[in-house]
Amino acid sequence: MKPAKFEYHKPETLDEALTLLAEYGDEARVIAGGQSLVPMMNIRLARPDHLIDINGIDDLSQIRLENGSVAIGALVRHREIEHSAQLAQACPPLPAAACNIGHYALRARGTIGGSLALADPAAEFPLMATLLDAEFVARSGAGERSVPSHEFFVSVFTTALEPEEILTAVRFRTLAQSEGWGFRWFSRRVGDYALVNAAAIVALKDEGRIHRIAMVLGGVGATPVRLTGLEQESVGAEASAGWVREISSAAAARVEPGGDKHASAEYRRELVELLLAGALEDAIDRCRGRQAA
Amino acid sequence: MNRIAFTLTVNAMACEVVAEPRKLLSDVLREDLRLTGTHVGCEHGVCGACTVLVDGAPARACLIFAIQMQCREITTVEGLTPAEGLSPLQQALHEEHGLQCGYCTPGIITTFEAFLRENPKPTDDEIREVLSGNLCRCTGYANIVRAIRKAAQIMRKGTAA
Amino acid sequence: MSGVKPEDTARDGFDQIGKPVPRKEDARLLRGKGTYLDDIEVPGALHACFVRSPYAHARITGFDLDEAKAAPGVVAVVTGHEVNDWTNALKMAPPIEGLQPTEMTTLPVDKARFHGDPVACVVATDRYLAEDAAELVYVEYDLLDAVTSYDAALADGAPLVDETLPSNLVSHQKFEAGDIARRKAEAYRVVEAAFAMQRMTHLPIETRGCIALWDDGRAHLTMHIGSQAPHPMRSMLAGRLRLAEHQVTVASPDVGGAFGQKIIVYREEITVAALACRLKRPVRWREDRLENLSASLQARENAVKTLAAVARDGRILSLEAEITEDFGAYCFYPANYLARVIGMILTGPYRIQDYAFEVKIALTNKCGAGPMRAPMAITSLVMDGTLDAVARELDIDPAEVRRVNMVRPSDLPYVMPTGEKLEDVTPSECFERGLEEIGYAAFRDAQEADRDNGIYRGLGMCNVIESTTYGSAFYKAAGIPGSGHEAAWVKIEPSGAIRASAGLMGTGQSYETPYAQAVAEGLGVDPAQVDVVLGNTDISPYGMGARGSRGATAGGGTLFLAALDLKAKMLDIAAALLGLNSPSELELRGGQVLRHVGGAWSETGLGLGDIARTAYMDPLKLPEGMEPGLEMHRAWDPPQMTYSNSTHFCAVTLDAATGRVDIDRYLIVEDCGTVLNPLVVEGQQQGATVMGIGGVLFEHMVYDESGQNLCGTLADYMIPTACEAPEIEIVSQNTPNRRTPAGIKGMAEGGIMGAIGAVNNAVNDALRPFGVVAERQPLSPDYIRSLLRVTG
Repeated sequence: MKPAKFEYHKPETLDEALTLLAEYGDEARVIAGGQSLVPMMNIRLARPDHLIDINGIDDLSQIRLENGSVAIGALVRHREIEHSAQLAQACPPLPAAACNIGHYALRARGTIGGSLALADPAAEFPLMATLLDAEFVARSGAGERSVPSHEFFVSVFTTALEPEEILTAVRFRTLAQSEGWGFRWFSRRVGDYALVNAAAIVALKDEGRIHRIAMVLGGVGATPVRLTGLEQESVGAEASAGWVREISSAAAARVEPGGDKHASAEYRRELVELLLAGALEDAIDRCRGRQAA
Repeated sequence: MNRIAFTLTVNAMACEVVAEPRKLLSDVLREDLRLTGTHVGCEHGVCGACTVLVDGAPARACLIFAIQMQCREITTVEGLTPAEGLSPLQQALHEEHGLQCGYCTPGIITTFEAFLRENPKPTDDEIREVLSGNLCRCTGYANIVRAIRKAAQIMRKGTAA
Repeated sequence: MSGVKPEDTARDGFDQIGKPVPRKEDARLLRGKGTYLDDIEVPGALHACFVRSPYAHARITGFDLDEAKAAPGVVAVVTGHEVNDWTNALKMAPPIEGLQPTEMTTLPVDKARFHGDPVACVVATDRYLAEDAAELVYVEYDLLDAVTSYDAALADGAPLVDETLPSNLVSHQKFEAGDIARRKAEAYRVVEAAFAMQRMTHLPIETRGCIALWDDGRAHLTMHIGSQAPHPMRSMLAGRLRLAEHQVTVASPDVGGAFGQKIIVYREEITVAALACRLKRPVRWREDRLENLSASLQARENAVKTLAAVARDGRILSLEAEITEDFGAYCFYPANYLARVIGMILTGPYRIQDYAFEVKIALTNKCGAGPMRAPMAITSLVMDGTLDAVARELDIDPAEVRRVNMVRPSDLPYVMPTGEKLEDVTPSECFERGLEEIGYAAFRDAQEADRDNGIYRGLGMCNVIESTTYGSAFYKAAGIPGSGHEAAWVKIEPSGAIRASAGLMGTGQSYETPYAQAVAEGLGVDPAQVDVVLGNTDISPYGMGARGSRGATAGGGTLFLAALDLKAKMLDIAAALLGLNSPSELELRGGQVLRHVGGAWSETGLGLGDIARTAYMDPLKLPEGMEPGLEMHRAWDPPQMTYSNSTHFCAVTLDAATGRVDIDRYLIVEDCGTVLNPLVVEGQQQGATVMGIGGVLFEHMVYDESGQNLCGTLADYMIPTACEAPEIEIVSQNTPNRRTPAGIKGMAEGGIMGAIGAVNNAVNDALRPFGVVAERQPLSPDYIRSLLRVTG
């Protein structure tokens, strides 16, 4: 298990990196934390001719709170998100997701940009990006564009990034005071990718009716699955235990999970129902807790 | 072969290395610098045996190309071992029989040197959560957890004094 | 000199044996100064890399090596066409009825039989370049249908895995004792039960590997290789390479775990050695994890169905067992090796005399199987699981069913229907103690109450009879090849420095410290003074190696005997130096010769150093006829079998919604006789138990229907992490074995046997309200849900 040959580039600025990418295109891969790319290179499932190491580029490592959103640089490590006090305040699903990723050493080195650009459909950040209506900032020599999460994740390990583009930052919406969130997952062991994960954000109106809602599932398709149809149907519904059961079971009926050596499709469907219900319960509880506070 | 000369700082020593860019940090430490305490168990980042510290933070040496580590401080188990005797963590592992074949042990030592600095008074659950990134096939983990708990206690006393 | 007899060595108290001495080897291992295989620096060594079949079953129709040979750094590229000319094939043909003889060349040239089968080897100046060139080796294949399960292998018209055999049924034996038909006719019920263990692998954290050095001047091969059994490995290597044993040195460095995977010589290692001899250059190979998971020995994948004829009170009148096993593509061991032992000891600590078993082993297109820590692990699951099935069917308390069947103290020695003899074991004492410690009655009450609240808890029990030290008589009786003897030497150098060695090699079991304690006990010195050197065939005596939990009894026991013999010689010398007629009043303690006079021990002023100096430097002062020097060699063949016993209790909570199993409490009561070092023993018990838990809940080497191995990474083959391993409570009993040195029995596999049974039985106990039974492992959440789903 040794990687194939490549040429190594270590640009000091983003522009330098973009110039290199423009030159080498799909013969190049960008390396950030390398926690997913290097295993693939070691098994030679990935074999770029050029490796562009962006770890030396300073301006990709910031967490910036803006009005109603938070922009996280692509090089921000999982552990910074895990321990960020401002994120815990403004967007708590992100630290919750970060502390669940892999293991201690992987979180110290892995980056949010790397995780999102990998686009594993069972991973935490793609799930949260889909939940939090993330905007992906993609830069190339030609300029910058912003890609919404529903367009960014194309398929398993496939994103809308062009070969000459670098993901520089991701902008997540922050949570409003009225909103509660929930995140549940099921994995065989601590640190494993979830067989299924689910996250939800709920805002309640007077008398406990759903005002706004976002629901997303991971591990059930080629990309995280946002339950847009069910979200629309849910607005105005009373956020009761019965409704949670109903909506979770409807979600389980609608998704089309695949089966593999870790879990059958049928089992994943059962997990969808359980985990979404749990995420919704947590979201509703937090919502009520915030309102009470 | 496109071998390149570069400098690594390992255990506070500047080391000249000539290697291909694709050479993994784990291989450079072991083969070029003869620091064989860093063990290779999977080369895909799961087992944790090759864990070293990069600027004080734990990292899998098998998931880093050595050439990426210029201007970084790398610490291996050799760098965490006192000239005489054992560190508190090593001593606790010895006393609590926290190792058998010993292959995973250096990765556990590096990981917990970092973690105990960050969290000097961890609960058993916190220890186990961090330890879950280091696979051990021999011990069943209980003695390692006990040793880390003991080491944390001793290290706290050490800093207090 | 015949020496001290093992049965004369029991004592009420020992000075060194039984002390929790922290380990000697830690000093180097903790500092990163161990020497594992890859840590050995060999200037100029070439690196090997194997090209492996991507298919489970395929005819090889051609090789194109030109491009690979021309690649940078490449020194050689070979296939079986060359290597098989240089080496002998492995013939597996012991004269055993029902066992088909097989033969395996070093590398296959006609067809590949499993996904991962090595078909070519590239040797280059470094591993990176070797891997580059391996990608340029082109092998032409014609795909064949693969058989990937026991049933498929034995179906009519199944493709033959080994085309020299009449069918894929590679081994088939039967055994019957007593009168089964009659017992069934008398029975109140005949209870059926089924059990199956999945394919697993050992997963040492250090994979395999070797370094072969050929000394062309001396015509001598030195093989650095992590080995549990260096001498048998040397014999195999020499035989395969057409060398005399004295032309081969096997030197095992520190080993990062083995668990049964590092006993035999594999085809890769023969190839590397042959290449070193041919190229006259050192060649090294380190298996990578993908190779370890796909092409190193795998294990288990056996199934047992039982029919128990029972009386109304749950007493088993007769037991029939049908044992089947999927052995994979090649016979690295005689195919009956593992299943036969399962049949031999299946009845465990229970009184069953009317007993029959049938063993059928099939070849399939998967990696070859062999022993993995506790190869007979399924026995305890099957036996205690069968008792649980009886309890369920007759609606009797499962503890009560165990009680009525268990061998009682008054039954000992108890001869099992296969002729195996249980003595100095304490199954009922351990079981009753366990019931008490776990709070059995209170658990049952709480369990009942919890069920009403939708909390499903289960308590699993498993009584283990652990076969530890296999004597030669066992191999003979079981119809499997092998010897059970072990050899050791103890030497005291002229300065008084002490060295000892045995034929076993540790791969993490901590041998160095308990062995030093055994020697120190025998000599009457401090263990810190004893240097234990293992693993080098030029230094160590020929022994059968580390396998089957024999380390303490065979290794420690033989060392203890050798040390006692050497002490006897030293005391003879001391007597001569002190002018006494006999050494009967003398004893060595703390390295000093003491004399028993007037009811008390007093110093003589004579120390071990004086004796050593005399033995080597002043032999004229030795008693008449005594040879100079202080070296003692012993070989010892243990009794047919020594048994340890234990009871495992596991309490679980089953989440009926997700199928997830959480272990709430784990308790072991174990009697492994005299213990050399309780720290080490407890470490083995904990490690084995967690490995067993991994087997029940997580580990599974998955092949798809076409024979593709789906577990190439450690994310796919899941072993327990620290978060899945419970705290384990251990209660020790220590009943010495009367036939072994110091009463040692041995252990290290019982933890697996107990866990596999106790966790499985606990889950079935939790499943009881649903009326379903888990019959195969691993008990994955998905599988548990599939059982619960049908209940609605």
